[in-house]
Amino acid sequence: MLIDFREVTKEYEEGLKALDEVSFAIDNGEFVFVVGESGAGKTTLVKMLIREEFPTSGQVLFEETDVHTLEGDDISHLRRKIGVVFQDYKLLKTHTVFENVAVALEVADTPDDVIRSVVPNVLSLVNLGHKMHSFPNTLSGGEKQRVSIARALAHEPDVLVADEPTGMIDPKSAAEVMEILEKINSLGTTILMATHNKEIVNAMKKRVIKLEHGKVISDKKKGSYE
Amino acid sequence: MNDKYIKNTLNNIKREKLLSITNVSIMTLTFLILGIFITVIAVSQSILRTLEQQAQVTIFFKDDFTEDKILALKDQLSGDERIFNINFVSKEDAYNIFREINKDDPILLESVTSSILPASLEVRAKDLGDLPKLAEEFNQFDGVEEVRFFSDVIGRFKKFSTIAYTAGFVLVFVFFVISYSVVIATLRTTIHSKGTELEVMKLVGATNAYVKMPLIYQGIFYGFVASFVSGALLVFVINIMVHFRAVPVSIGLGFLPNFSISSLLFSFILWFVLILSGALLGFLGSFFAVKRYLKY
Repeated sequence: MLIDFREVTKEYEEGLKALDEVSFAIDNGEFVFVVGESGAGKTTLVKMLIREEFPTSGQVLFEETDVHTLEGDDISHLRRKIGVVFQDYKLLKTHTVFENVAVALEVADTPDDVIRSVVPNVLSLVNLGHKMHSFPNTLSGGEKQRVSIARALAHEPDVLVADEPTGMIDPKSAAEVMEILEKINSLGTTILMATHNKEIVNAMKKRVIKLEHGKVISDKKKGSYE
Repeated sequence: MNDKYIKNTLNNIKREKLLSITNVSIMTLTFLILGIFITVIAVSQSILRTLEQQAQVTIFFKDDFTEDKILALKDQLSGDERIFNINFVSKEDAYNIFREINKDDPILLESVTSSILPASLEVRAKDLGDLPKLAEEFNQFDGVEEVRFFSDVIGRFKKFSTIAYTAGFVLVFVFFVISYSVVIATLRTTIHSKGTELEVMKLVGATNAYVKMPLIYQGIFYGFVASFVSGALLVFVINIMVHFRAVPVSIGLGFLPNFSISSLLFSFILWFVLILSGALLGFLGSFFAVKRYLKY
């Protein structure tokens, strides 16, 4: 099993439960949507997987390792296996598109010649090879999100986690992003995507885990989001 | 040192040219003001020390106490560690001084001969506080007619100079703290402005060292450059001022009576202290500022 959430509960001090005994498992190569309205717990779930949040109870296993037992540089190594795409892109304004993608490789001490060959490849995978030397402020929302995907893919992660990747872009760009994610999945990368975009989920016909008030209320193969 | 971290440090500085120039300028100005302040305090304390050493006890001798005996006593007193210097004033010297002072009063001059005036020893102490004790001891010597010193004036001056020395040290310390705060705040602002970058680095798998080291090197670089430039300027200015006699040739510190160094050496020591403070502050400032971004 690649990802295994075991009765994960996250309770904030105010008594508010962001996640309530959430359990599910994801295999290698799957494409899974986590759906639900705003505040359902989707972002907490993503943060839990990359060890940005700690559960109040329960375990999150990645490749059989409890991610919350990791310390120091082991956390960095976990994050290199999980590519994350954020709704607000989190691009560095002072860096070019090339440099933004290269960051993911530089932090892993990748040699410069490897960076020079890998970055153009991932950028062409997201159809941005021609914008390599542009700065983020000259890109559209859809393009920024594709740079974010390229960065997440640069170190060939086992899983790509996308938190509302289409939340800030127009429908046409959203369709392009989904096309890219499907292509990446077909190449073998597991995709876990949190969204509340019903059209996209229903069009893709992939596995759908539905959250409501922090609880999993349904988990269907080839599901939909009503 | 890791080449990659140095490369990233240089990239950061290049990428943030304006911010780097601003930071180095602010820090240079801060170190310059700190250096000027330390110099002013050191020079004023040296002047105060010189004034202190002007205060003296005068031992007047009886007419039958011969010059040889006085000079023998002078030699004996020279060995006393508390004494800064001793000046022998013979009867003739005293008469010459008297003539000089009263040159406009010929009637008075005619009535006085050198034999009337007593020979004396003028004794200056290293520490003003030793003068009363010395005066008391001198009174016990053979052949002493009178021991004279202005105990009230010296007492008040001693109190004033002690306050001035203490205030000087306290002010230097306070200004050190202020300078440190300015430098640390400058570095914190720089690092906080990179918050998103540090966050992204962590999320894509950067290790602690990868995030931390270039920022620490950057802090040390800023501190070093700023303190080097300000120190060099101070060395230049102090030496120009020594040349034009605007500051004393040697500088002492109030609390260390026997301590005195040349102003040139003082300026180089100050430069060294500033560089050390600059590099240390750069390290500490960036180390603490970056720490909050390393909590996983």
